Amino acid sequence: MSERERMRREMDRMLRPAGERPDASTSITRRTFLHKSVVLGTGVAACGLFPTLSTIDLAFGADAPAFKFAWISDTHLYPKELNTRFVEKAVRAIKEVQALSPPPDFLIFGGDLAQLGDPVELKLGAELLSEIKIKKVFIPGEHDWYLDMGATWNKMFGASPWSFDHKGVRFIGLDTVSHADDFWTSRKMSAKERMGNMATLDGTLGGAWAAVGAEQLKWLNSTLASWPKDKPVVVITHNPLWECYPPWNFWVRDWRQAQEVLKPFSNVTNIHGHVHQPLYNEIGKVRSIGMLATSWPWPYAPEGVPPLTKPMIRADPGDHFDGVGWGRWTVSSAARVEGEYMMWRKEVFATADADSGTGDNRNQVLTPRIADRP
Amino acid sequence: MTRKIVRYPLVAAGVAALIVAGADMDLAFAHKEKHTAEQLQAFEDVFIEQVKTGDLLFHGDPDAQKRLNVKLSNTGMACAMCHPFTSDTHPHEFPKFQEQMNEFAALRNMINWCIEKPNEGEKIDPDGEAMKALEAYIYWSNRNSKLDPGRH
Repeated sequence: MSERERMRREMDRMLRPAGERPDASTSITRRTFLHKSVVLGTGVAACGLFPTLSTIDLAFGADAPAFKFAWISDTHLYPKELNTRFVEKAVRAIKEVQALSPPPDFLIFGGDLAQLGDPVELKLGAELLSEIKIKKVFIPGEHDWYLDMGATWNKMFGASPWSFDHKGVRFIGLDTVSHADDFWTSRKMSAKERMGNMATLDGTLGGAWAAVGAEQLKWLNSTLASWPKDKPVVVITHNPLWECYPPWNFWVRDWRQAQEVLKPFSNVTNIHGHVHQPLYNEIGKVRSIGMLATSWPWPYAPEGVPPLTKPMIRADPGDHFDGVGWGRWTVSSAARVEGEYMMWRKEVFATADADSGTGDNRNQVLTPRIADRP
Repeated sequence: MTRKIVRYPLVAAGVAALIVAGADMDLAFAHKEKHTAEQLQAFEDVFIEQVKTGDLLFHGDPDAQKRLNVKLSNTGMACAMCHPFTSDTHPHEFPKFQEQMNEFAALRNMINWCIEKPNEGEKIDPDGEAMKALEAYIYWSNRNSKLDPGRH
C-alpha cells in the first residue's frame, strides 16, 4: 500500500463518524473530486469512501440556494504578436466559462493575467475577459505587479483586499504579491529588470516575496470579526496560505499568522493560483486548493507536496493545451460544492508513479540556480 | 532577466592557467603528475563558467543567446518556465526512449526537441558551445541525483 493510500485510509478511519458507511454513489469522475468525509461538524453527512483529496466542499445550511462560480488564473499573456498560444488558451477558457448554462454567478480571476506587467498585456487581458458578461472579481499576481508596482493593475482591475457576501458565503480576496523586500534600488535596476526578476519563478533575488502582510492581516481579522464562526468563508489568494515550497513562493511567508486568523472558523476554503497545478492541503479546518493555469503547467516542487494532494498526470510538452485549463464549482442545494478542474484532457489525476508529476521524482536532487549568486 | 555579464576574461584566465600548468610538464598529457590546487581550481572555474552560461541560456537571457548566436525561443518562453531549478529535466534518466520523439534519445536530443517544439526556437548544434553550457547547467543542477538511465 502506498504512503498516500495509507494516509487516506487513516484519515477515513479517524474522521468518519461511527456507524456511517461509504455512500455507494461516491465516485471520482474524470474531473470531479468529492471530498465529504473530512468535513466534520458542518452538518454534511460523511459519505466518502475515502477522503478523495484535491477537493472543495463547502457546507451550507440546508436551505441555502445553489450557485456556481468559475475560476480562471495565470493566463500570463504576452503581447499578442509575440505569443499567440497563451492568447488561444485564455480565449478557450473564457469561451467555456461564458458558455456555461446556466451561467455561474461570478468569475474569480486569480492573478497573473500578464507575463511582464506590461500595460499592453493587461489591456489584452481585459479585452479578452470582457467576453465574459457575468460579474468578475480580481486579485493580482506578481507578474501583474512589479513593472509599475501595481499602478496599472489597481487602476484597471481594482485594489485588494476586498470582500463580499454571496448567498451565505463570505468571499475575501487578498493581495499576496506586493510585499517583496526592495532588492532593486541598491542594485540600480530598471523597472523592467525588477519585473524580469520577479517573473522568474526560480529566481532568488525576490526572495520570500509572498505575504499577506501585517496591515492586511489586521484587515482580515476585522472583516471576519462579525462573521459567524460556523458559516463558510472562501479566501482567494494568488499564493497558497500554507508552506508548500518557499523557493518558488508556493507559500506566504506569514502563513502561520494568516492561519491563526482563520482558525476559529469551522469552514474555510482557500482557493489559489500561482502553482499551475492541482494542489491540496488542510490545516485544521482550513483547506487550500491549487488551481490550474491556462498558460502552462509547472512541475511539482521537488519537496513539500503534501500527501493530501492527488497529483496530476505529467503534461505532454508537445501539446500546449495539455495540463492546463480553468475551474468551476457547483454548489448544490444540499449544501455542497463540488470543485472541478476543467483540464483539457481526458484524465487529470495520476494513479501510477510512471504517470505522476511527483512519484517519478524519487531520484531527483535539485540545486537552486547559480546565475543570481554574487 | 537581462543582466549583462561579461565572463570572457574569467574563461581566458582559466584556459591560460591550464596552459601554464601544462607547460610545466615534460609531456602535454594528463595525469602524469599530481594535480596542483591551482589546476583543480582552474578546472572548476572552467566548469562553473559553463554552468553560469547555461543558467542564463536556460532562463532566456537575451545577451547570452546573442553572444552564442542561438535563438532558443520565439514565444517568450524560456526552458526554466517549465523546468524551475531544472526540475523534471531528469538528466540522470538519459539516455532513454523518449515518448514525444518516439526514439531513443540522449539529453541533448531532448534539449533540441524542447527548443524546436514548445519553445518554437531554432535547433542548436548538438556539439556546440550553447549545448555544452545547457548540459553543464542541467547536470550541475541535478548533481547527487541517482543515475537511473532508461527509466521513464
